[in-house]
Amino acid sequence: MPLISKVGRRKFRVKLVLLTIGAFLWIGVILRMIPLWWMFITSIKPAEEVYLIPPTLFPHRPTFAAYKIIITLSGYISSTGAYSAHPGWMTYPMYVYLKNSLIITFGTMILQIPITALAAYAISKLESPRWSRILFLFFIGTMMIPGQIALIPTYLLIQHFPFPTRSIPYIPFTKIKWPAFNLFNTYFAVIIPASFSAFYFLLFKGFFDTVPDSILNAARVDGASELSILRRIVMPISKPVFAAVSYFSFSAAWNSYMWPLMVLQREKLYPMSVQLARISRLLSGQTMDVRGRGGLTEDLTKMIELGWSWNGLMAMSIVESIPVFVMFIVFREYLMTGIKLRGFK
Amino acid sequence: MKEKARKESQKRKSRLAKIFMSPAILIQFFFGWLPIGMAFAVCLFHYHVLKPEEYVGLANFQDLFADPLTFQVIKNTFIYTGMSLAIFLLPVIVSILLMEMNKSTIRIMMYLWFFPIASTASIVIWKWMYNTEYGLLNSILMSLGLPTLRWLNDPRLVIFCLILPGILMYGPSLIYLATIQSIPDELYEAAELEGAGFWSKVWHITLPRMRPVLAMMLLLSIIGSMSVFSQPWILTHGGPNNASMMVVMRIVNLAIYNMRYGKGTALAIILFAILMVIIIIQRKYFKEDIDR
Repeated sequence: MPLISKVGRRKFRVKLVLLTIGAFLWIGVILRMIPLWWMFITSIKPAEEVYLIPPTLFPHRPTFAAYKIIITLSGYISSTGAYSAHPGWMTYPMYVYLKNSLIITFGTMILQIPITALAAYAISKLESPRWSRILFLFFIGTMMIPGQIALIPTYLLIQHFPFPTRSIPYIPFTKIKWPAFNLFNTYFAVIIPASFSAFYFLLFKGFFDTVPDSILNAARVDGASELSILRRIVMPISKPVFAAVSYFSFSAAWNSYMWPLMVLQREKLYPMSVQLARISRLLSGQTMDVRGRGGLTEDLTKMIELGWSWNGLMAMSIVESIPVFVMFIVFREYLMTGIKLRGFK
Repeated sequence: MKEKARKESQKRKSRLAKIFMSPAILIQFFFGWLPIGMAFAVCLFHYHVLKPEEYVGLANFQDLFADPLTFQVIKNTFIYTGMSLAIFLLPVIVSILLMEMNKSTIRIMMYLWFFPIASTASIVIWKWMYNTEYGLLNSILMSLGLPTLRWLNDPRLVIFCLILPGILMYGPSLIYLATIQSIPDELYEAAELEGAGFWSKVWHITLPRMRPVLAMMLLLSIIGSMSVFSQPWILTHGGPNNASMMVVMRIVNLAIYNMRYGKGTALAIILFAILMVIIIIQRKYFKEDIDR
């Protein structure tokens, strides 16, 4: 509700205050729109126009050439040859990276949401009080500990699950190694560590705690099984929290950058976020990515010859942002009603 | 008899609960607790490329403290965190002021202020804006007749440049809006009857009501900034001359690119210790619950 009372709104001083607030908000909106406008117009510029000084704020010849190129192009940018052992810059057409992003994101959501929700429901409604207190701490304890400490052990763990060591240990008294799974360079390396989240667990549990026990007990008396209670009663009323968690989970997985960068080291598996960052590094001439391998300028020249530079990158940024924006619109109403954060109680 | 039936049903529920929880317990054990515990072991070893690892005690920590880069990355990270706290309040202020507009304006503005774009995309856009030759910012400066800046190549400016992309990623702001809208109107009406003005309403009602959310968001924001990775990694990769090298970047560099798992984990444990101190201070002095 507006805090400035309705009664005095005609007064000059109050009007002035309201006007100032409005001006502040609109100026902020404009400032916030500038980078997005810059992204959009760069993406519809032809290659020559991208490198004009001063840059044009309205493209002289708007064209969708950049979009066409990022969709079709593949396997050419590499001074060492497109199909050599060295990774190229954009060896595959964009849909490959988009597909990787989608697999990682939806794989994460499909595992993470049910696993977390079931655990929260069990703790909140099914488990005996003594056990639920212990397990509650077990589940949310990791949230209190900053995750970076587990970075390297998890990185080692991924390479031969379930051993967080550099090499697989031997079975005692033998020369045989324990069986282990190498998840490195697979989608599972990103999906499985994210498939339980302490933060979403807390959101779910906070919501399930507000569902009155009497409803569930009434259903139990009527002979409903626990599963049908979950499906018919709990699920429908928890729509807002499921929506909020889906949105958070989606954007966290879609935007994840560091972990995919570390555990997916083949270009074929890169999600959009990693690929975008690589291309941006090529375009600004930062060679850290290709240590010991020359030919950066040649790669760049080749790209520009093909009509593809920052305009292509900006087109890719727009493509990467569309799902985020769509999810925002879809879940907005639920988000507004669904997330009442309660803090850590 | 009844007691027995109740116990029986609790037992049945508990059994089902165990089934429901089992995947979460497995994941939480293997990817939650096991790596955290293991970190305290990994930091005590030196990992050779070909030979098996060797127990070196606290040598990794000594190694870190002898390295001036360690202090530099910690300093950089603190500067970054301090600067990003300066924009922490911006979405809160915007959310509060937004409520003063009329209904239709709120709807439009909410989209314009808060719609998110993919985080890598926003970082990449800023990288293009900062471009010293063809970027937008320098061309604006030039058209105003001002000297151009070197942005990401300027060691004194670079950390300030790193926080700006955060302004484009307004994900959590919806939480503020939702919290503000959930404050009961009666509170404001009562305050109005007693003659409270705009500022006293904000100060005595809105902010205290938002306190639990603000406390949590502040904590998450501090933890997030202290462990920042993607902005500096994508924008500068630590340069120029390590002026924007952050703790987590250093950890990743050590571990992934130099195979120094022990030293990297030791640095992670130092970061962990710093963060724990911050968390404890914050939880002690910033009580979450207004009713307590």
